[in-house]
Amino acid sequence: MALIVSLRNALPGLEKACIQRQIHVTPVAAKVVAGRYRVTTKRDRPLTYEMANPPHYIAHRKGWNSWNTSNMTDGNRPAETLLEDVFIRRFVTGTWHSLFVSEVIIKRQHNIIRIAGIIRRGIATRKMYFLIGYTEELLSYWLQCPIKLELQTVDDRKDVIFKYI
Amino acid sequence: MSIITRLGVKNTREIARISSLTSSFATQSEPPSPVAPDEFRVLKLRPDPVQERQKREIRRTEVPPPRSTQMKFDQDWGSVWPAARSFHPATVPLPVRQGYPLKNAAPPNKYGNAELMKIPNFLHLTPPVVTKQCEALKKFCTPWPAGLETDEKCEKHFPVEVLTSDYCYSSPTIREPLARVVTIRLKLSTLNLDQHARDKLLRLVGDRYNPEDDLLTITSDRCPTRKQNFEYIEYLLTALYHESWRTEPWEAEKSEADMEYYDWDKSKSRDGLITLYCWPEPPIDNDYETIPHATEYKIAVSDLINNGEDEYSLNKYKEAVKNMLFLEGQEKK
Repeated sequence: MALIVSLRNALPGLEKACIQRQIHVTPVAAKVVAGRYRVTTKRDRPLTYEMANPPHYIAHRKGWNSWNTSNMTDGNRPAETLLEDVFIRRFVTGTWHSLFVSEVIIKRQHNIIRIAGIIRRGIATRKMYFLIGYTEELLSYWLQCPIKLELQTVDDRKDVIFKYI
Repeated sequence: MSIITRLGVKNTREIARISSLTSSFATQSEPPSPVAPDEFRVLKLRPDPVQERQKREIRRTEVPPPRSTQMKFDQDWGSVWPAARSFHPATVPLPVRQGYPLKNAAPPNKYGNAELMKIPNFLHLTPPVVTKQCEALKKFCTPWPAGLETDEKCEKHFPVEVLTSDYCYSSPTIREPLARVVTIRLKLSTLNLDQHARDKLLRLVGDRYNPEDDLLTITSDRCPTRKQNFEYIEYLLTALYHESWRTEPWEAEKSEADMEYYDWDKSKSRDGLITLYCWPEPPIDNDYETIPHATEYKIAVSDLINNGEDEYSLNKYKEAVKNMLFLEGQEKK
């Protein structure tokens, strides 16, 4: 009984507090950070050419990583192409684990998909040849079209570093 | 000290017997003691210095020098680079560079340059290769048909032009819905039409006819395949032609208000002129050829009404009227 009475006394105050409570708003941090790297104090963050140029330099200082006609006006199957590209990128990065030192470049011509990139010579040559065949075979089975892997090898990760920030 | 050691060894032997049962579960087995079985183990209060483990030798595979260094200057490039392929620095013997350079630096060179791999190249389509491929394709070509040497002759023998589009896409599908659209173009002057038929055809086709270049364009995309669209257009053209030649009974009801242009031969102006010429007798026939300057007057009136009033046509009309009524001659007298 006493509880109800105390509640009855407390309720108007609570109601008042609810009405008066306002949403706390902070200013929007509209800062563009995608594809940009912060400068380190020691200036020892290695950047490749691709990383050194932020996205607004695409078509000015650097090219696209996917080449196809799907995104042109009235191009067909843009969504499927995008999803396939994402899948190819994931599969290739996982299969060539820590070997790719550049982005995976996907170029499409008719029904052929050509995957290019730079890898480092971290594994034996025979293993590399196996992985090339494995990637081509599995991807062409899944995507139902011929796949070609066109790789360039570098000795070390440092060979593709453009600058340090 | 030695007693403790001895006791310890005894105890550990006992324990070792028991622990051998659980050794299969142990993650790390004890290293065998270097002491002979009848000797006492020596307690080492200070452990031996850990021998430095030999670092695993990283075996580097021998990479031969780039192929481009061994290329002869008169090699057959077409067999080095036979098909479309991404750029490879060891195969291309050119000192190319690409990339936006840093300050006071040259652009990145071709080794380890992803930008060069991104852009499409035409290294497989050098002029000698193109010539070679054309030579190889020549045996599949047929000679150009005789009698169709010029465009005029082609237009004369094949007046109908069929336009379709084929699409190449960078995707596994070969289907393209826009490939079904068929367009035909022909000059209206190539059709055998009289004035009535032409007039009717123009009314039927509407804005598909371009009076500037006299081209009639018909497009069809209503059928699902190209062949069906083409056949439909053929049907349309045939139907148009025959329909425009047919004269329906209601076409006789066409009055002057329905005319799309001013026809002086059917106008009141002509009746008026003939009546005036024969005055006071009623006109005998509709022949205006005998009236002097009538043709000039006819052209002037038609131009004035068909092309609209401007200074030139008004002056022409004035002159024609003056000539016909001999006003000029009277002025002279």
